Amino acid sequence: MESFAAGLPLLERPSPVTAADPDLELAERFRDGDRAAFDVLVRRHQKGMWRLVRRYVKSDADAADITQLAFVRAFRGLTGFRGTATVRSWLYRIAINCALSWLRDHRREQPAEIDEESLIDDNPAPAQLSAGDDRAQLRRAIAQLPPKQKLVLELRVFDDLSFREVAVLADCSENTAKVNFHYAVKRLRDILGAEHAS
Amino acid sequence: MRRDRRDGQGDESALVAAYVDGVAELSPEDRRAVEAGLARDPAARADHAAVRGLIDRLRALPPEPEGGEPDWSAMERSIRSAVGSSVPRPWWRRWTWLAPTTTLVTALAVLLVVMWSHRAPVAEAPRPVIPSHGLASQRAPQVPPEAAGDAATGTGVVSLWLDGAEVDVDVSAPAARALLGEPGDDEAVDETVDEAAAEAADDAPGSGEADDDAGLLPAADLAWVDGLDDAALARAERWLAAEGAPRKKG
Repeated sequence: MESFAAGLPLLERPSPVTAADPDLELAERFRDGDRAAFDVLVRRHQKGMWRLVRRYVKSDADAADITQLAFVRAFRGLTGFRGTATVRSWLYRIAINCALSWLRDHRREQPAEIDEESLIDDNPAPAQLSAGDDRAQLRRAIAQLPPKQKLVLELRVFDDLSFREVAVLADCSENTAKVNFHYAVKRLRDILGAEHAS
Repeated sequence: MRRDRRDGQGDESALVAAYVDGVAELSPEDRRAVEAGLARDPAARADHAAVRGLIDRLRALPPEPEGGEPDWSAMERSIRSAVGSSVPRPWWRRWTWLAPTTTLVTALAVLLVVMWSHRAPVAEAPRPVIPSHGLASQRAPQVPPEAAGDAATGTGVVSLWLDGAEVDVDVSAPAARALLGEPGDDEAVDETVDEAAAEAADDAPGSGEADDDAGLLPAADLAWVDGLDDAALARAERWLAAEGAPRKKG
């Protein structure tokens, strides 16, 4: 067993598992009346929240508005934060809810999805073309995933969340999140293999 | 793995991607199961390698969208101005004063009830009612309420209940005032009682030392004695001589 694990090294990156929530102290300080603690939370998470929201809406400005709205809601609710999940997953959950609510309200106003790769330089260098092709291929494959698998994969890979946090945001058990992640990767391989073959 | 099947998600091979991307997040038994599966199945090892390569490619993707990020400082300022400067308090914190206040009020109410209930059983014992002048009739005529005197002012007559009969008391007398609660008149009560006893003794026929036992309230209206005939008187005298002879004191 050990020899196998040593023979096939796992990905070398810091695990997103958080033994202790680094934001919990800030939340407690905020509850005690320290307004500045919230500013620290904003600085820490605004980028991640914006990127998360940006995957739901197609406009940078809309994503910024939704992120701001999510932080305003978080500000009002942070004193009632119970600590059952991490502060980050709690914030992301608010952001996702705000994004979904925004999508419901603006369903008819959403512009047709633009293929971002079409906006790339018209005459890329061969190396750029290859890299761009690869990225476009991956993004197209991700877009074809079932919603739950797509959500789990994006939260895990792009937002670097632990499976526990992913489970909170995807509203499932941690083990189901792990299994969903596996099937998302498997399906991506199938889609990419099929594209390659064609 | 039993947990996976319970979730309807399959066997340990369904955890390979999670094993590759976050082995520390797997439970020890899940980790052992995945490693056992990889050790015995060459196809699983190939799958493991392919998964690892794909996850590497995914993580190498630049953040989406590329470029176009907002001005983070401006967003910070915007959020700060939108939320204000004071930390909101949850609704239940605004009512934290309610619990101690309610407790205090309840404790006071209970204390009052307890004190009142301890005081209530101490009922005032019925006081003896003494006629103000002379003898009181055993069956006093009913006095209408409006005719009753005002005890507070010390005038008129007050009906009191004594030994199963209603008795009128002249409240203008000092003894009556004492009985009705005016302080300092206890001696007047004693004097009145003594006077009543003395008057009763004087008025009774054959008064003297032998009549001391007649008590404070000698029988009234003895006129019927005059209506007795000689035979009845003779029988009475015989009965007195035989059984009812008065006892002489000392």
